[in-house]
Amino acid sequence: MNSPLETRSLSLKREGNAVLDKVSFTVAQGEIFALLGGNGAGKSSTLLTFLGFLEPSGGEVLVNGQSVASDVTAARNAIAYLPEATSLYGHMTAYENLDYFLDLAGRSAGVDELNAAFDRVALPIEARSRRLQSYSKGMRQKTAIALALLRETPILLLDEPTSGLDPVAIDEFHDLVKALAQGGQTILMVTHDVYGACQVADRVGLLRRGKLVGSFSAENGQRIDTETVHAAFAEREAA
Amino acid sequence: MLRNIVRETSFLAKDRGAIFWLTLAFALSVVAVSFGVTEVREQRETIATLIKEDAADRANALQGQEEWGSAAYYAFHLTYAPPSDFAFAAMGQRDSSPWKHRVRMLALEGQIHESDTRNADFGLVGRFDFAFLAASVAPLLLILLLYDLRASERTARRHDLLVATVGSPTQLWLPRALVRVGLLALLLLTPLWIAALIESSSAGTLLQATAIVIGSLLIWWLIVELVSRIDAAPSILLTTLIGIWLALAIVVPALSKAAIEASNPVPDGGEILLLQRETVNDAWDLPKEDTMIPFVEEHPELADYAVIDGPWAWKWYYAFQHVGDQKAAPLVKQYREGRLSRDRQAGLVSLLSPTSFVERAFEKLANTDAASMVAYEDAVREFHAQLRAFHYPLMFPEKPYDANLLSSLPVYKPPS
Repeated sequence: MNSPLETRSLSLKREGNAVLDKVSFTVAQGEIFALLGGNGAGKSSTLLTFLGFLEPSGGEVLVNGQSVASDVTAARNAIAYLPEATSLYGHMTAYENLDYFLDLAGRSAGVDELNAAFDRVALPIEARSRRLQSYSKGMRQKTAIALALLRETPILLLDEPTSGLDPVAIDEFHDLVKALAQGGQTILMVTHDVYGACQVADRVGLLRRGKLVGSFSAENGQRIDTETVHAAFAEREAA
Repeated sequence: MLRNIVRETSFLAKDRGAIFWLTLAFALSVVAVSFGVTEVREQRETIATLIKEDAADRANALQGQEEWGSAAYYAFHLTYAPPSDFAFAAMGQRDSSPWKHRVRMLALEGQIHESDTRNADFGLVGRFDFAFLAASVAPLLLILLLYDLRASERTARRHDLLVATVGSPTQLWLPRALVRVGLLALLLLTPLWIAALIESSSAGTLLQATAIVIGSLLIWWLIVELVSRIDAAPSILLTTLIGIWLALAIVVPALSKAAIEASNPVPDGGEILLLQRETVNDAWDLPKEDTMIPFVEEHPELADYAVIDGPWAWKWYYAFQHVGDQKAAPLVKQYREGRLSRDRQAGLVSLLSPTSFVERAFEKLANTDAASMVAYEDAVREFHAQLRAFHYPLMFPEKPYDANLLSSLPVYKPPS
């Protein structure tokens, strides 16, 4: 059976500089894979190759076993993407934003369904009919997460998803991600938050200067040991 | 696709910037069409009033006349080119060329050209009519509506989310742009269609005008689309597009006009007027043969009546008026052919400038182009020739004056 997400010796160059260098990994169905790395490690670029926004200079990127290059639309249709610092439309309410983006994705949702999604991300009821320009960064992020939930795609790509969320909301978000994975969704998240990655991920990959330099898996139902990953992360970054 | 159109229409309804530009487009169209309709109605009223007064004035002038010569001298005849049923959309050359005259059976060319500087101010700055709006202003509005469709989303860091969500970018950008272009066309054209109904414009003309506007918007859409594929800030895209607009709407037409005028020298109406008047005035001091010989060359059938014995005769007076036109004829021919030649070349060059092309196409549809104004002048010349053909066989043989025959005076027919 094909892995929902896979890279094979993925290399990427931007303006002549190597961003990714022969990165290979797979993410199985229902798995949460966290790519951990510092600034400029190539985390977000990895996500963008799955969406076909960046063209690999070498290797291959596959979604559900199919090369992204051969059918980028199919890849995008299978993925809900939560970019870093999401900027939805400020002049529209949360309801209107979700209506619009869901329509873009070719589906619609009733008010009850929208409210259920907002409830899951704990977006206050009174805020839902307000324009997003009055939202805090965290509230905007919650709206975008609600959108990703409503897409009901088999794959979720999350770029620094807890950025801007308060600690309580981060914990709630982690629980939500775990529940989604248990429901069968495949999740690839990139983050520089070692603690968060270890809390939520089944596997953590260390990305440094475009190379996958380490991998840690949760075993026997235990979470990945934060101290071990942190030490490896610090060691690699210092190297 | 329909679903995408509905979605983007709903999205547009929340975009205040786009709503502003679209509302402005509608308002400008209403203003342009209103100006045109008002001007055309004024011109029609002027012509109607002049037609009424023309017959009465002539009857008054002819009353008590006892000679063919004085009857011809004092009788004015109205000539005019009525605005077409689509002239409200493009006043064109009607602003810089005369469209009405009161001519007498004197030398004609001076009468035609003595008023050709009318509305020189409009000749310089142009009139704000629908043709100008469609040709020059609509592309600017289109640029403002479309230039940052992608760039603004990139700037807001929303581009990737949008494209990733929609899957195929064409399902987003195409309907988003199509809604804007479609609404712009609709809002520009609605006042035109209403005015065309009021003015009873032909369906064919209106269809062609609609096709021209839509075609022009599609060309500018293509230009905007090509430029906005550049991965640059919205301000740079806007500057680039305004630069292209300036080049195509101002620079190319201005340079080509200057080049065409330089390569096709055309005498102005004043030169024709001067030459003809000098010829007429000089004739008073010349031997009468100097007038009658060239006159008879053109009218050999009057040779038997071309000997002038006394110091004065009406037929001599009209002969030297006629010779004034003969002398001016080469200049008139040069003027007429030069204008048409310039017009032909401008037509070719307009293929390089969508704005010029649209303006010219509208002027052609509205019969307000150079060819139409030349056709009017030709109609005046034809009528004047009929006047001469009526009077000469009476005046030169010195037939007895009979006021009853004046009921057979030729009647001016405007060009169709």
